[in-house]
Amino acid sequence: MTRPWVVLALLLLTVGCQKPVKPGDPLRGLSRAERDRFDRGKVVFDSVFTPETGLGPLFNSTGCGECHEGPAGGRGDEVEVHATAFHAPVCDPLAQEGGPVIQQHTTPALKQALGIDQEPFPPSATARALRTSPVIFGRGLLDLVPDSALLAYADPDDRNHDGVKGRPNHFVDGRIGRFGRKGFVPTLREFNAGAFAAEMSVTNPAQPTEEDVGGKPLPAGVDPAPDPEINQEQLDLTDDFVRFLAPPTPLKLGKDGRHGRDLFSQIGCATCHIPTLRTGYSPVQALSNQEFAAYTDLLLHDMGADLADICLGLATPADFRTEPLLDLRGAEHFLHDGRATTLEQAIELHGGEGSGARDRFKGLAAADRAALVAFLKSL
Amino acid sequence: MRRTIRTAALTGILLVPLVISAPGDWGAFTSAQPAPSYIYQGTVRAVNARAGTLELITGVGMSLRVVRLNTAPTTRLVAAGAAPRLADLKPGDVVRAEGRRTAAGLVADRVEKLAVGAR
Repeated sequence: MTRPWVVLALLLLTVGCQKPVKPGDPLRGLSRAERDRFDRGKVVFDSVFTPETGLGPLFNSTGCGECHEGPAGGRGDEVEVHATAFHAPVCDPLAQEGGPVIQQHTTPALKQALGIDQEPFPPSATARALRTSPVIFGRGLLDLVPDSALLAYADPDDRNHDGVKGRPNHFVDGRIGRFGRKGFVPTLREFNAGAFAAEMSVTNPAQPTEEDVGGKPLPAGVDPAPDPEINQEQLDLTDDFVRFLAPPTPLKLGKDGRHGRDLFSQIGCATCHIPTLRTGYSPVQALSNQEFAAYTDLLLHDMGADLADICLGLATPADFRTEPLLDLRGAEHFLHDGRATTLEQAIELHGGEGSGARDRFKGLAAADRAALVAFLKSL
Repeated sequence: MRRTIRTAALTGILLVPLVISAPGDWGAFTSAQPAPSYIYQGTVRAVNARAGTLELITGVGMSLRVVRLNTAPTTRLVAAGAAPRLADLKPGDVVRAEGRRTAAGLVADRVEKLAVGAR
């Protein structure tokens, strides 16, 4: 009779003694084969590309790890430029002029051929956006939240009269989006494959064609590597590395932090920053049917005119997808373009649908505001 | 001889999925070969009904491309059971276009206007 209790006690002890997940760690519970793919994917993720191995001719970075760094998958200090044209209600991503990602560097061969240091800014653009590199921890979990869960949080007509709407964005082919600051890209796999092409101009089996230069064909001889510049295995390994990056364990909350967590819900932050989401089925057990701390609804919300920049898909210039609140304690800049240097500033810059929660935050006593920020810094 | 047949068969097997799924402008096929079929699903960027042309925005993630399609008198246009004209399509509409590459470029055989929302 005592043996089951001993086993249970040992099990509880083991669970209780588990080391916290650090930024850059893989998900717990990966199989040996999955862990092997994580490790091999990290090698591709950390690779530095050259023109001979596929970089450019236009690019923002020489490798994934250049922007998602310290550790791999974390934030970088790079800021990139996006541009689109908004002719309400239609958004033109300006693909015919090199948009929406405007690469900020060129290879020596392209510079020699055209005399440019970066991709020309699209002449038809109606807006320019700056984008910081987000952390990419926990993205495999976000990928697996069923669309039905997102749609359950959507309230485009504000039927509950709380001033918060929320609606999904759609990709160019009509599917519901969720990745990127405008929630434009439907799946993590596509986001990763697109990033190889848009950030490094590394063609791959999912995007086998090079981007032209502001709508004009590439000059001959500036792209020495044959397409696709990485193969399916390299793409799949990188995808698995990103997919298996775990969200870091939040810090243990003290009394203030627990109070701040309660306030986070009471003043309405949790209406959009939904604290937990649940994944659907996945053949990867560590990702399948998991409840996890997400602090997002993956929906678009109007954040007001002060934050507005570009449109993308169905997102108007003022619409942004609720940012998942992951690894905030490691952040030095906040919001999509990094304009806020403290969490207080970031909250105070919320407008539009976020203005109610912002005003309630500003109306809190100083100690309560500090408690809420202490909670956020535990994430 | 047997080796040649085997090589040709293997090449054919390897190329079929590439042709069916080809998302870009792969121009490696000569007019002597049967026209490969292409399927694009994307957002209408521009329509020129007089010239019978259609530009679609397609792509992967944040890497977007424009695909230019010609229509022919035989091109079928479909929308929720109706039969719209090319001029009825407008920027922002989402369509699925099936076509083939010819010497004159991509020609659409069928263009269907879609309702959006499914993942």
